[in-house]
Order: sequence, then structure tokens, then C-alpha cells
Amino acid sequence: MDMQAALSLGLPLGIGIAAIGSGIGLGLIGQGAMQAIGRQPEATAKIQLAMIIIAALAEALTIYAFVTMFLLKGKI
Amino acid sequence: MGLEFLARVRKTSTWLGGVMALMAATYVSPLLGLAFAAGALWSLVNLQLIERLVVSLTGTARGTSAGTRTSGFALLGMLFLFASGAVLLVLLSPEALVAGFLLPLAVIVVKAGTKILLGSRAWRGIANNRWRAGIAALALATVTWFALGALTNAGGQTPEHSAPTSEHAQTAPPEGAPGEAGSGAAGTATPEAHGDATAEPHGEASEEKEEGFTNVIALLAGAFPHAAWAHFLEHYEVLVFSLFIALLLLYVAFVASRNPQLVPSGLQNGVEMVVEGLSGFFISIIGPKHGPRFVPFLGTLFIYILSMNLFGLIPFMHSPTASLNVTVALALTVFVYVQFIGFKELGPIGWLDHMLGSPRDLTGWLLAPLMLPIHILGELAKPISLSCRLFGNIFGEDMLLVAFASLGVTMLPFQQLPFGIPMHALFFPLALLGSALQAMVFTVLTSIYILLMLPHEHHDEHGHEAGAQHAH
Repeated sequence: MDMQAALSLGLPLGIGIAAIGSGIGLGLIGQGAMQAIGRQPEATAKIQLAMIIIAALAEALTIYAFVTMFLLKGKI
Repeated sequence: MGLEFLARVRKTSTWLGGVMALMAATYVSPLLGLAFAAGALWSLVNLQLIERLVVSLTGTARGTSAGTRTSGFALLGMLFLFASGAVLLVLLSPEALVAGFLLPLAVIVVKAGTKILLGSRAWRGIANNRWRAGIAALALATVTWFALGALTNAGGQTPEHSAPTSEHAQTAPPEGAPGEAGSGAAGTATPEAHGDATAEPHGEASEEKEEGFTNVIALLAGAFPHAAWAHFLEHYEVLVFSLFIALLLLYVAFVASRNPQLVPSGLQNGVEMVVEGLSGFFISIIGPKHGPRFVPFLGTLFIYILSMNLFGLIPFMHSPTASLNVTVALALTVFVYVQFIGFKELGPIGWLDHMLGSPRDLTGWLLAPLMLPIHILGELAKPISLSCRLFGNIFGEDMLLVAFASLGVTMLPFQQLPFGIPMHALFFPLALLGSALQAMVFTVLTSIYILLMLPHEHHDEHGHEAGAQHAH
């Protein structure tokens, strides 16, 4: 397998694997936030803010894979 | 009828002429679009001057000095107009100019025709009955379908010889598709050729450039491939767009605060609402003691990033944040500002103490050598993650829209039409949401970095306050 074939196989796979991890993380964050809101509806605004920040942190991991894909795309 | 009719004609032809000129500039050639727009503008000004002249000669102001002056000015303006028309005819392509000139006249004819048609008895007979209206619409759609098919088939006759290699035909230079109906074929073939033409001259600059929607600056650079200013604009495209947005925001702020009223209305009201909302939001994060000092920086950051994110959704515009350069610049600004705040608030000793993890007992001092590199790495990772997150999200959004727009163009059965199904419209809500969310995430993370740099007793105070609020 030469470099190009490896890259064209590996780049989409890399994004997919990163997305699996982020997806699990986002799901857990959403679950926790929803439960917290359900227990304490008056704190909805604060919980939502924290949820969005942590969701952005989790989502950023996929974005790093995405950026890497675009950096290496030219080598295919 | 009368002046009000003319005003409506003006409005319609302005919009129609703008859209048609942009389409011509995109699909045929930028200079042709420019010529079309110039022709339409010339014709509109001509109509306006004629209207002035007629009103001043026949209206209520007839005979007065004001009326005479108006008519004199109108005549003088027409003289200048004809001179500029002659210059335009020499400079630009005459066919497009004449087409632009005929556009308002065509609008007048069509508008008058519909006025007569709408008043006729046959129209009322059709429109008042639901079934007859439905059948008429169906018949119209069928006729349009077949007419379009016949038109594209007639236009596609020349490319049909090379039908198996139609993919390659697009990259080959369009050899002047003959006939009137061939313009559709030429229209689809030129965007690719045009894209290649713009990409070729500046080889090293365009290599890292991803293909996206075309924008105003790319069109200008395509129209004047040898002009130095066009090259400059294309090279600094992102900077030009972001500076333009900054100027736009400056202008809005200036207009909103130029004549402040105690009871605000209109623009001032809206801007005050935004400012109040942002100020309350950031003060709720940082706390009432230190918060108000940072609201200007954070609010500016939010509004600026939000406008830059949303700017790419405007046709023929480009999101500056879809370029890593801009987001790195923003993140570096935040990094330097946060470190500056730390130095200023904590002092050099306090800043070093913060970097060591604020050791107060033996365990803390033992762990300090470990905490220092961790803290330094953490500080350095902040700008990287901020910039990559913003860039990746906005760029990914744009790429998604481009992918679905090109899908919408290629899935249309008539291959030679210069327009497609707007598939990407489905993803506009997602793009709007993502743009707002990323702007918010960027600024909220910045405010949290600032909060972490502030003296630590502040946390307890904030916590107590939150607890006190909760107790109420």
C-alpha cells in the first residue's frame, strides 16, 4: 500500500473514529444535563451554559480530526 | 397608473437587473455582467430624467421658476447621460449594454400586460374557480417543461457529438457554442473554465485555497486578471472581508449612537438591547465585581465573530472565519489579553504563583515542579483549541453547503440549465445555529479564561452569592 492509498483510506476512517468518540461524549453530556435540568428546573440557564461549553470541548476533538484531514488532503 | 406605476417599474427593474447581472457575471463572464448592469442603470437614470422632465413641464410646477429649473437640470443630465452612454458603448460589449437598456422597457411592457390581463374577464373566470385555476397552472407547468426540454435539446445538439465525454467537455474550452439556444450550454461550461482561469495565474497562492462558493473578490479578480489591485484584493481577500465587516459594525454603532434619545427607538433600541443582553450575560459569568470591565472586549469579540460567521451565508460573500489565519489572530489576541490581565491583576509574583498551582502547603510545593509545565502547556493549548474549533466549524459548515449546492446542480435532469435545485437551503438553519453557537462558545471560553486568571477569592464570593440567590 503506497502513501496515497493509505491516506485516502485513513483520513475518512480517522474522522469517523473521532466522531464516534465525540458522539459518545456528547451523548453523556446531554444525558447529564437533561437529568440535572429535570431535577432542578430553576437552574436551567446555568446548566445549559455549562453544557454548551463542555459540548464544544467534546466536539472540538472531531474538529481537530477534520482539520487534520484538510491539512493532509492535498497529499492524496 | 402614472407615477406610482413608474416607481414600481423602477423597483422591479433594479432588483431584476441586479440579479441578472450577477448571474451573467457568474455564468458567462464578469465583464458581460458589468456591461449588463451598466446598461440597466443607464436606462433607469434615463427613465427617471424623462419622468422629471415630463412632470416639470406638465405638472403643477409648470411655468414657475422651480419647474423651469427642474426641466433645465433634467435636460443637462440627459446630455451628460448620452455622453456617458457613448463612452460605455466604446468600453463595454454593446450587446450586453443594449440588453441592459431594454430591461426596464421589458419590465414596463410586462407590467402593463399583466395589468390588462388581471382586469380581463377571462382571468377572473379562471382565478375565481379553484379547479379551473389548478388546471391552468398544470397546463402552464407542462408547457414550460416541454419548452425547456426542447430548448435544452436544441442547445445540447452541439455537445451531443461528444456526449460520452461530457465530463471532459466541461474542462475543455467552450468553443463558442453557436446559436441563441446554445447560451445555456455555454453557461454551464464557463463556470469551470472560469474557475480554472482564476486559479491558473496565481499558482502558489491558490494551491492551499479550498474551493467554495464564488465571491465578489474572486469575480473582480476574474474580470481583471492582470490588474495589480485585483490581484492584491484576491490575495488579501480574507482581510478585506473582515475589515469590511469591522467598518460595517463601526458604522452601525456610529449611526445608533449619533443622536441618543432618552427613550430609544428604532436602531438605537435594538443596539441597546443587544448591548444590555451581552453585558448581563458576561457579568453573570465573571461576576458583578470584575465583570463590567471586560464587557467591552468580550461583547466586541462576540458581535465581530458572529458577523464574520454569518457573513458567509450572504450570496457572493465569504466568511473570514473560514480561514485559519483569522481565527489564529483572534485566539492570539485573546491569549495575550488573558496573560496581560493575569500580570496586571496578580502581579508577576502572583502570576508565577498561579502558574505553580498556588502552593500553600508541603504537598503543593512538592507538586509545583510538575504543575508548572502542565499549566504552561494548558495556557498554550488554549489559543490552539480556540482557533481550530472556530475554523473547523465554520469551514466545515461552508464545505457542507458547497457540497449540497453542487449536488443540487448536478442532480437536475436538464444538464444545460444555468441554475439548480437549492439543496443547501435545508442546511441554512444548521449553519445559522452553528455560527451563533461557535461565536458564543468562543467568547464564553474567553471569559472563563479571564475568570481563571482573576484573584481566586473571587470564586468564593461568587459562590456565596449564588448560594444566597438560591436561598432566596
